[in-house]
Amino acid sequence: MIEVALRKTFPGFTLDVAWQAGDEVVTLFGPSGAGKSLTLQCLAGLARPDAGRVVVNGRVFDDVAAGVHLPPQARHLGYVFQGYALFPHLTVAENVAFGLRDRPAAERRRRTVDVLAQLELGNLGARYPGELSGGQQQRVAVGRAIAPDPAVLLLDEPLSALDAPLRRQLRAELRALIVGLRRTVVLVTHDLGEAYQLGDRLVLYEAGRVVQAGPKAEVLGRPASPAVARLIGLRNVVRGVVVKAATDRVEIDWRGHTVEAVNSLAAPFQAPAGAPVAFVVRPEHVRLIRKDRVGPDPAHHMNLLEGAIVDAIDHGTTWTLLFRIAAPGPPSQGAYDLEIEVPHLVYEILDISRDREWRVSMHRGALQVLASADPA
Amino acid sequence: MSDAVATALWLSVRVSILATLAAALVGIPLAYLLAKRRFWGHQALDVFVMLPLVLPPTVTGYYLIVLLGRRGWLGGPLYELTGFSLPFTWYAAVVASAVMALPLLVRPARAAIESVNPDLERAAYVLGRSEWRTALEVTLPLARRGIVAGAVLAFARALGEFGATLMLAGNIPGRTTTVPLAIYTAVSTGETAEAQFLVLLLTTLSCAVVVIAGRLGSRL
Repeated sequence: MIEVALRKTFPGFTLDVAWQAGDEVVTLFGPSGAGKSLTLQCLAGLARPDAGRVVVNGRVFDDVAAGVHLPPQARHLGYVFQGYALFPHLTVAENVAFGLRDRPAAERRRRTVDVLAQLELGNLGARYPGELSGGQQQRVAVGRAIAPDPAVLLLDEPLSALDAPLRRQLRAELRALIVGLRRTVVLVTHDLGEAYQLGDRLVLYEAGRVVQAGPKAEVLGRPASPAVARLIGLRNVVRGVVVKAATDRVEIDWRGHTVEAVNSLAAPFQAPAGAPVAFVVRPEHVRLIRKDRVGPDPAHHMNLLEGAIVDAIDHGTTWTLLFRIAAPGPPSQGAYDLEIEVPHLVYEILDISRDREWRVSMHRGALQVLASADPA
Repeated sequence: MSDAVATALWLSVRVSILATLAAALVGIPLAYLLAKRRFWGHQALDVFVMLPLVLPPTVTGYYLIVLLGRRGWLGGPLYELTGFSLPFTWYAAVVASAVMALPLLVRPARAAIESVNPDLERAAYVLGRSEWRTALEVTLPLARRGIVAGAVLAFARALGEFGATLMLAGNIPGRTTTVPLAIYTAVSTGETAEAQFLVLLLTTLSCAVVVIAGRLGSRL
């Protein structure tokens, strides 16, 4: 169990965050420079907050108001540094045993052997870190951190120093290892796939603040604001004006057309007519309909809009089409209103390269209304 | 080799080794302090340690007399208490050489300490080591190349030290006449052969120090 509330100010940057987590894996996700690593340093006692509290399993590590600040030596945390920070002048076994100095020699040896075996480093104990591959170094770093059996394990970008294929391969291994600890694990990453696969709980960082926190499915399934939606990589984050917000659906005026979205049953969106609203359209859920086709069935073709494809980007197996709605006023996303993703085959069958005037339809379930329209 | 030459050589070696040890004893903690801490007077200390590098050796020697002479700030009370007076003893040659050698040791040692990845020290703190233990087990072992390089420079400097030694220890044959002073004496008294021999000796010795240091450096 960990409770964190921190504020630390630098010229041009302020970290101001609060979150908590139980005995689970919590990933701090956000762009570089958002304050994720600084948070880890504060948790470990390597940086001193200007204000706030850090409490781990009932032990107060920091309480600025009460003048409490435990040094890193007294916190007994595990810390896997970005780039691993293995001691280059010590062997693998000496690195792993480094945090066991106050144990009796026999126990120290036994624990070192156990940890090396657990991480499948058993035959590398006498090697030096410089002689190991990146993946092996990563395991030594984790081994050194968990050998003293810490109450909390902190990992700063544990896979970012590795090549992409190896990184994906090691994710599952790392997940199994850190879940097996049954401790609070705090992991920092700027890779959404890593955050999703490794964590149970997500804390989204942006510019020194937490923009959303919660179980990962909830955060990714129900982004609270346009900032969160963009942070987790959603495209077509656009804004309109509420026409009517009912319990089952929300009607939105978007670029002079009224579109309909399904309202959430669990956390229904409520706002008066005329209020600004932000929503997300999944690019792969937009259907293209040929303009000359007569009498589209409104039951099958909800949210029908006319317009033109203004640009197309080839991604190899898919095309991204940039679609502009035929309506006065500036488009929602610069030169276009919607990104539409179609497979190569569909692009060729529909002959999209020649025909640029289209209608689009979006099922109301493909439109997701965000709880807050606040752009920040 | 005449007795006088042998005595000068033995004295030079003894003085240089002890001066290097003294410079290391003071210089390594000093280098760590200058690299790691920011305190009031940091820059003043930095300048003070580097002074012997830029001052004429006779000036440094003069300050040492003011400080350590029989009526000096430190030397006075010492003489009152123990009756021991440092100037014109071979210890004075050690002190003068150590002071002259100190900046040459501190500079590379400090640079090496500063270049140790701070995450390694943080890792040691998180794993329970105090700053003192971390310095002994992590920082200094990883900075050893720079420290040894500095010690070699310091030794070479001590071996060739002339001006400050002359000021503080004098040029007493058999007692404070190191090889550089013996060369000066030989030249000024017209003993060309002895001067040439000593010059070659010091050149050979200095070359040997550089070669040994190189071998040592590549093995660390």
